[in-house]
Amino acid sequence: MTRWAHVRVLVVAAVCSLGVLGAGAPLNFQDLEESLTCQCGCGLTVHSCNHLQCESALPLRAEIRAQMETGKSKEQILAYFSDKYGEKILSAPTTRGFNLVAWITPFLLVGLGGVFVAVIVLRWVGRRPPAPPPTAESQPHMPSPYDKIIEKELKNFDG
Amino acid sequence: MVDVGGLALIIAWVLAIYAVVMALAGAWWRKRDFIASAEHAALATWGLVVIATAALLHALVTHDFNLEYVAHYSSSTLPLQYTVAALWGGQAGSLLFWTLLLTSMTAIVQLQNRDKNREMMPYVTAVLMLVALFFLSMLNFITPPFQRLAFTPAEGQDLNPLLQNYWMTIHPPALYTGFVACAIPFAFGMAALMTGKLDDVWIRTTRRWTLFAWFFLSLGNLFGAEWAYLVLGWGGYWAWDPVENAAFMPWLTCTAFLHSVMIQEKKNMLKVWNMVLVILTFALTIFGTFLTRSGVISSVHSFTQSGLGPFFIGFLAIVLVLSIGLLLWRLPLLKSENELDSILSREASFLLNNLIFVGMAFAVFWGTIFPVISEAVRGVKITVGPPFFNKVNTPLGLIMVFLMGVGPVIAWRRASARHLQKNFLVPTLLGFAGSVALLVAGMRNAYALISFGLCIFVMGTIVMEFFRGMRARQAVVGESPLTALMRLTAKNRRRYGGYVVHIGIVMMVLAITGTSAFKEERQITVKPGDTFDLGGYTLRYEGVQARETPHLAYLTATVAILQQGRQIDTLHPEKRFYKKPEQPTTEVAIRSTLGADLYLVLGSYDEKSQMATIQAYINPLIGFLWWGGIVLGIGTAITIWPARVPKRAPAYAPRGARDHVAAD
Repeated sequence: MTRWAHVRVLVVAAVCSLGVLGAGAPLNFQDLEESLTCQCGCGLTVHSCNHLQCESALPLRAEIRAQMETGKSKEQILAYFSDKYGEKILSAPTTRGFNLVAWITPFLLVGLGGVFVAVIVLRWVGRRPPAPPPTAESQPHMPSPYDKIIEKELKNFDG
Repeated sequence: MVDVGGLALIIAWVLAIYAVVMALAGAWWRKRDFIASAEHAALATWGLVVIATAALLHALVTHDFNLEYVAHYSSSTLPLQYTVAALWGGQAGSLLFWTLLLTSMTAIVQLQNRDKNREMMPYVTAVLMLVALFFLSMLNFITPPFQRLAFTPAEGQDLNPLLQNYWMTIHPPALYTGFVACAIPFAFGMAALMTGKLDDVWIRTTRRWTLFAWFFLSLGNLFGAEWAYLVLGWGGYWAWDPVENAAFMPWLTCTAFLHSVMIQEKKNMLKVWNMVLVILTFALTIFGTFLTRSGVISSVHSFTQSGLGPFFIGFLAIVLVLSIGLLLWRLPLLKSENELDSILSREASFLLNNLIFVGMAFAVFWGTIFPVISEAVRGVKITVGPPFFNKVNTPLGLIMVFLMGVGPVIAWRRASARHLQKNFLVPTLLGFAGSVALLVAGMRNAYALISFGLCIFVMGTIVMEFFRGMRARQAVVGESPLTALMRLTAKNRRRYGGYVVHIGIVMMVLAITGTSAFKEERQITVKPGDTFDLGGYTLRYEGVQARETPHLAYLTATVAILQQGRQIDTLHPEKRFYKKPEQPTTEVAIRSTLGADLYLVLGSYDEKSQMATIQAYINPLIGFLWWGGIVLGIGTAITIWPARVPKRAPAYAPRGARDHVAAD
């Protein structure tokens, strides 16, 4: 496996782990509510929708409770809702197939950006000529009046 | 008056074309009279847009329901402040308001630059008037605000009840001001590219404008959050809605720009990158307006959707093609002597800061448009909601907070081991100690522990900076601590104002962490006299009273708040039922303390049984979000406040540079 293949596997694994964090945790009603989007058009999750007698959030909450009683895992319950209502009911993309692109891309770009920044910083650092060794003429250095003024103004400018 | 408004918009459109053509022709052939004529045309355009806005306001206030806009977005019973707010409550009115702000700022820029930047000004005028021309074209041909109806309805349809809130009277103007002000640095950046004057003059000239834009973008986002908190009644203030994201993205890139320009000013580096950021920020403001107006992505905030989407996308494409084309054309001139002494330097930390800001902006952009991509690629509709944005942005945000502590304090050029120890050892130890103390106290949320630790670290670095500066002044000048602190800040407003802004941001991070990790909530159906507990309070539901005005009906609940058996407050959450259009809204009731808000929502009420469903939330530390905003405002004011112009230019400066310093 090449170095880049290793990097790709690591990125995918890291992102997937974000998606399944808490997979082993006990079922939580609020967590499930927050994993589903209310279909009334409010744009909020089932948990956050507070419309009076909402025709979507209220039945969905009842359905979540019913599903929890069947003993299914969180993934199985979310798969049930996704199959029944379509993927749009999930409040975040799944971590499978094309949806993985949603999760990977931001981290991949930030990672690549980080590599790019590291490379250019190292190049720029390398470009800097080494400071000349102190010579007899340059030491001891007595600051000239201009140097003092410049130093003072640079201090004021600093920020 | 209405006809005058319509006519003013047509003449303004013609004058905007004239201004663009004459400004470019004047710059090309170096004709001063052409340029002067273009600037006069731009000023006249502003005057005409003021007349058009006044005409629409007049029609709203006098309830001229023959005008389609007035009939659609107001009513005779709408309170005056919301009648005025209806100016930006609808499609055409908001575009007119956008144009008013843009032409006003153009006029101010021209007055500011009467005697300076003369080489750039024709191009600045041309760019700004080109943007104004786009909006004037929309107003004249696509969504005219002065469209008459064939008949005059007896009553208007009224403003969307969700917009009838104090925060909605100030949130859109603040956000639009931020959006529009981003056009000023963009215009100067483009002018710099066109003239080839690619030193840092354009950056210095627009520094205050950029800060002004950033400040209003910050305010716009905060006011929007406050509106959502008070009006939407779901206990939160940020839902990663596409329109919220649209306002947040330019804020992120503008913040990156504010930091990276310092490197260009100080080290003459990152010239290309700064151009990219200013283009990106302006493009994101247009994209944001497109998201709000087009309805291409469903949003709870899209009050004024229409078919404007293709026009905005077309305009955005033109902006990007022209500006990136200019950038590529001038690329050879933008090459700078990029040199760094060390990775451990302020320059390097600012580069990382820019990467994270732009990375976060991309993550938000990506999440916002991914539903459209998914539908195009797979034909499947999906939702990208809060869980996605929180998971992606939280780690990036925490890195950002860490850099906020490092960036302002680490030395330019090279930080020695001694410098790092002197500046960071104590804050780092304090941050660790804070996290450990919270862990020992029982806090188990890993993100919260890291976040609080980082906040302590950042505050430690800032406090040490102020303390050292103050002590130095005390030692040298012999001032009292308070005088030393004030003079220290006044002498270097940019630096210490920036620290104050960072304190404001730390306060906001505390609030975001508190509300994300430790929110408590309870939904309960109760009858009068029932009590329930939440967050150390006992709440006793007393009942619901109904009342009515010509405009709306109210159901007001009374809930007594008790602590240790003693009543300490009474809250009145409400449901309001607007009559036109018939729509219920939530009016939350809040008891705020420094530590947390007790937030009550009247969910539902059954008149027969008198039973009510109450949703109660404890939002820890949320007050820091609003107070942080005030501190941020104070910091920006310190930073933006003009410094006293020195009587004499620096003695060592050459003649040209002296002129420049005096003009800055």
